[in-house]
Amino acid sequence: MPTEPILRLKGVAKHFGNVRVLDDIDLDIADGEFLTIVGPSGSGKTTLIRLLVGMDSPSTGELWLRDNRIDHIPANKRPTCMVFQSLALFPHRSVGQNIEFPLKVRGVPAAQRRSRALELMSLLRLRDDYYSRSINQCSGGERQRIALARALAFDPEILFFDEPLSALDYRLRKTLEKELKDLHRRTGKTFVYITHSLEEAMVMSDRIAIMRAGQFEQIGSADEIYARPVSRFVAEFMGEVNLFDGHGGEDGGFSGAGVEATVPAEPGAASKPLKPGEKTTLMVRPEFVHFLRPPQSRDYQVRGTLRAEYMLGSRTQYKVEAANGQILTVEKLSEDRIAGAPGDAVVLGWDRQHAHFLNGERA
Amino acid sequence: MRSSRSTEIALFVYGLLIIAFLYLPLVPVGFASISKARYLTFPIRQYTTQWFGQALESATLAELASTSLRIALIVTLLSMLMAFFGALAFARYQWRSRGLFQKLVLLPVFFPQSVLALALLILFNSLGVIPSWKTAVVAHLVWIAPIATLVVAIRAYAFDPMLEEAARDLGASTWTVLREVTLPLLMPGVISAGLFAFLLSWGNFPLSLFTTGADSTLPEWLYAKMVAGYSPLVPTLGVLSVAGSITVILAALAIARALKAVRTT
Repeated sequence: MPTEPILRLKGVAKHFGNVRVLDDIDLDIADGEFLTIVGPSGSGKTTLIRLLVGMDSPSTGELWLRDNRIDHIPANKRPTCMVFQSLALFPHRSVGQNIEFPLKVRGVPAAQRRSRALELMSLLRLRDDYYSRSINQCSGGERQRIALARALAFDPEILFFDEPLSALDYRLRKTLEKELKDLHRRTGKTFVYITHSLEEAMVMSDRIAIMRAGQFEQIGSADEIYARPVSRFVAEFMGEVNLFDGHGGEDGGFSGAGVEATVPAEPGAASKPLKPGEKTTLMVRPEFVHFLRPPQSRDYQVRGTLRAEYMLGSRTQYKVEAANGQILTVEKLSEDRIAGAPGDAVVLGWDRQHAHFLNGERA
Repeated sequence: MRSSRSTEIALFVYGLLIIAFLYLPLVPVGFASISKARYLTFPIRQYTTQWFGQALESATLAELASTSLRIALIVTLLSMLMAFFGALAFARYQWRSRGLFQKLVLLPVFFPQSVLALALLILFNSLGVIPSWKTAVVAHLVWIAPIATLVVAIRAYAFDPMLEEAARDLGASTWTVLREVTLPLLMPGVISAGLFAFLLSWGNFPLSLFTTGADSTLPEWLYAKMVAGYSPLVPTLGVLSVAGSITVILAALAIARALKAVRTT
């Protein structure tokens, strides 16, 4: 990590009765980064953010904000704050009063509060006349911006987000994702974002942490996690994927049912050589799989039958049934659509640099 | 949904009948208060406002009204206070014995009031407390505070707990959260609870009868005069009392409207 971490988790665990929701978590969050914690529901991400914000304290483990241990300091005494899933805007207060709330709590004089609120409103592209509007008169997108402005008025060292975009429609969400990323760049603050939406995570974050059953399965950049997942869980969580179970062959290459490895001695560049007999799973993303026409050949090949074609807009997706019955997914840019009909025999192929091996996977 | 003309007429007549059923009993009382005769007979031979004049001038009635008002105002204030915190315990916070609390707190409402009042009188006697308007305040509270609590609790159930968490997260202390978020959001409920408390206390008879001791409230006096020594002041006072209640309700509505107007501008 280039800079000292702003927030450090050491062996943080949380249990409710006998249920272990967070299991011995270590994490360093770098100053100024945009970290997204992604996981399916029930993976413990909401419990984790409650600990990070101070609405709950860990059962064991330590939380360090720079040089201060904070795990038993309540939320109102921590220099961090959160944008809530429900936004939690005060319905009995105007837009301006909402934004000024953290300043009022601190006893900032009214004139100063007002000018700061207006400043933040212009940063978030809210018109000045919204200042005295009631929250009930604002749209979903405007409320998001008000909640953000209120959190920024607090001037937190770290700004946490608990899926604030999840209730919005697709287009508005896409716009706000980009605005949020832009805001991160302009403010230079540390953003920690929790979501179950991978798409959100990929668009916005510097780093993504994938959570599963109370632990981090993998932490890395979107590229890293997408191209080199550590497990089947992450591979599948990060989008469409083709997986082939197999083992290391006599020659150190991959040997698996239905896959012909024409250049077997070297596995994908990113992976370690396979040991003979070692169990492994070969992974390839749908966009790297090509339809081959003889005499074309690729490092890995699979024979099958075209079953279906789905138009996804900019991309077209194909489902191919391999000889052993496994259904494979292939995606092409729509301008590169193939002329093929369901029932046609096809040969699929891809190169070693796009093949990734999931070795030593956790059960 | 638009209803046909005949349905509309039927609904209108039905509504009218309900209103008549509710308000018709007040009509003879009204007539009695403006009839010059000592006992109400129809047709009324001579109308007069002399009973109203007498009622407003009477020192006894002023004393009774002041006792009733004093009890009602104190009960209102204490009920609002108890209802606010009671409702938080009732509806907002999760705690171990909440279910039991919810049941026990509502139980006094379902006791027959005369039994409740008798029980309290025995209690006061055994404690050596001489019954007066002050003990009546306690008796009224036992019955009215639970109702007020329920009124505020309905409001508290609709309250997003995340608002308090967000306020805390933004640096507010427990006291600030209470003052800036919880109290203003529950305020409409607290005001209606206060209104209920006032009206229930103002008109209460059975609890007062047993627990006021040497003091007397308006409903008690009305009852006493009905039993012995009837005078046309009884219906007159009834009309004044109802008028007083209506005034309080209208004033409360006006205040609520004014508050809303202030908030939206």
